[in-house]
Amino acid sequence: MVFASIDELDSALASASYLADRGLATALYLSLQLEKPLLLEGEAGVGKTEAAKAIATALGAPLIRLQCYEGLDIAHAVYEWNYARQLLHIRAAQAGTVDEGELFGREFLIRRPVLEAIESEEQVVLLIDEIDRADEEFEAFLLEVLSDFQVTVPELGTIAARRRPYVILTSNRTRELHDALKRRCLYHWIDHPSVAREIQIVELRVPGVPERLAEQAARFAAELRSLDLQKPPGLAETIDWVRALSALGRQELDVENVEATLGSLLKYHEDLLAIRDEALAGLVAAARG
Amino acid sequence: MAEPSTAAPQHAVVRHVVFFGRVLREGGLEVGPRRIADALRGLDAIDLSRQEDVYWTLRQTLVARREDLEIFDRAFHAWFLRLATQPVLRPAQPPPPAGERRKGGAPGPGPELDGGEIEIGTWSRDELLRTRDFAAMTADEFARARVLIEEIAVGRPRRRSHRLRPDRRGSALDVRALVRASLATGGDPVVRAYRSRALAPRKLVLILDISGSMEAYARALLLYLHAARGSGRGVETFAFGTRLTRLTPELATRNADAALAAASKRVLDWSGGTRIGESLKAYNDEWGRRALTRGAVVVVLSDGCERGDPALVASEMARLARQAFAIVWVNPLKGHPEYEPLTGGMRAAFAHVDRLVSGHDLASLEALGTVLAGIERRHAA
Repeated sequence: MVFASIDELDSALASASYLADRGLATALYLSLQLEKPLLLEGEAGVGKTEAAKAIATALGAPLIRLQCYEGLDIAHAVYEWNYARQLLHIRAAQAGTVDEGELFGREFLIRRPVLEAIESEEQVVLLIDEIDRADEEFEAFLLEVLSDFQVTVPELGTIAARRRPYVILTSNRTRELHDALKRRCLYHWIDHPSVAREIQIVELRVPGVPERLAEQAARFAAELRSLDLQKPPGLAETIDWVRALSALGRQELDVENVEATLGSLLKYHEDLLAIRDEALAGLVAAARG
Repeated sequence: MAEPSTAAPQHAVVRHVVFFGRVLREGGLEVGPRRIADALRGLDAIDLSRQEDVYWTLRQTLVARREDLEIFDRAFHAWFLRLATQPVLRPAQPPPPAGERRKGGAPGPGPELDGGEIEIGTWSRDELLRTRDFAAMTADEFARARVLIEEIAVGRPRRRSHRLRPDRRGSALDVRALVRASLATGGDPVVRAYRSRALAPRKLVLILDISGSMEAYARALLLYLHAARGSGRGVETFAFGTRLTRLTPELATRNADAALAAASKRVLDWSGGTRIGESLKAYNDEWGRRALTRGAVVVVLSDGCERGDPALVASEMARLARQAFAIVWVNPLKGHPEYEPLTGGMRAAFAHVDRLVSGHDLASLEALGTVLAGIERRHAA
């Protein structure tokens, strides 16, 4: 096992520039220990995808990412035949001298993320991002992969994993996932970070950020999340925003700058309309403490 | 890894966890033996003296849904920390009320519904029933109507799937088949095979108003929701009076009576006031934000009699309309000849509705099915 304790994993994540809270660190640790896939759920922007990238860095393992979308199929998730090469091959070999076995050999196979992860010689992290966007048929297929870690290509036979990939799935909960899939996974719900944690994260991710700016920005973001907005800002938005402010050379928040940069924090027109004038001034004053 | 159950000091832990699993099951969580085994293996891998780690380990191995976290937390506090808390036990699924409603209209095909042969007597009876207002039905008529509702609810909007399937008149070249066929011709692609996009059911979101003014129709429409839920995947159902309740899990039960009983338990404000704007807002905030609406056909079943602020109805309908593929409004009042969409809420909503249908009798629900099956694209916003 790579990490002997949760603390050890925690500090490895920190050196990969990812500050996990105890719950997430425990989840990642257990999923490595029990060799079970980990399902991460949470609002958009709380750092689900980042967590997978960080654990890959901490493990020193390559990250293979499968971004899911409606209509994702085996040809884009697992493998596809390289038809152009196949046709050229038949041409080059002249008629009659090519048999089917040759044509559907491994050199004509295009490996997509799932097959790539299974065929890899070394331990990899397989990130299945936003699984809730894929069709339910794909979920059923994934279930098969996650229980046996093998893939069947009709022309080649079954390819089994040499080393079990370490699997992380993320979901934004646009729909409930199948119980059978959940049963295969450990489950962790990621909440928005506390203000103190968010300050730490911002300081880590935006090097050289003025301390006061990081503090005020984190408090401002937390205030926004307590309001009734259509899309409250996630951690990723706070980081982007502080980057923008920091690039402008700001030492702390003031109404004028916040007004000019609020678009990197709030992504809906209605939200931007709701946060202006007195409301904005009040929030800035509160964040400045 | 050592088998935790064999080590003597671990014995108490095993018993604790097994009992704890039982507590969670009583709270409505699905905690199977596999989860218990995971929890034990997890506890084996961590430092048991750190309570926080024990908490996370149990939570991550035993809980699989966000909704269950609160129940888990309470159970954890009560069981492991011995704190006095009010247990939140979810209502168990009630047993189907045997014989009570089944006698008149048991779901499932009666003899007259098998095949294409329809008895004349039944036909004419059903034909009369088709145009009878739900509000005016007798108990017997209603029992008959519910069987028909189940038949009607199979109409579903469809979308073009990304998946391709062989189709000789398709437009996408099936290269895999072409390569195979080219083997015989020395690499010349002579035989062409085509594929086209398959049709898949489109997401369907049904939001039912069960407030006082809808009382006469709520039961029939809830049956419609139940039947629609059973029509396949991708159907989400909600009910609202003064607040929004998601009914999808409750209506998943095949038995209509049990499903309705479960749904009724879940919904607290049957026949109360109406807050359409706030309920739509709750839907948009909780479910729309998670992109449930995106690409879906949203059906709102309500008479539009809003007690709250019509401006909120308008703005929330606008939000809904921006994300939905199309919005269908089912208003039972529309069945009345003198109806005009003049109630405050309805007028506010009207601008964002693609199709308005009535839904006060079987015929209009049939029409709804046709509308849903054929719906093309949303209105030009």
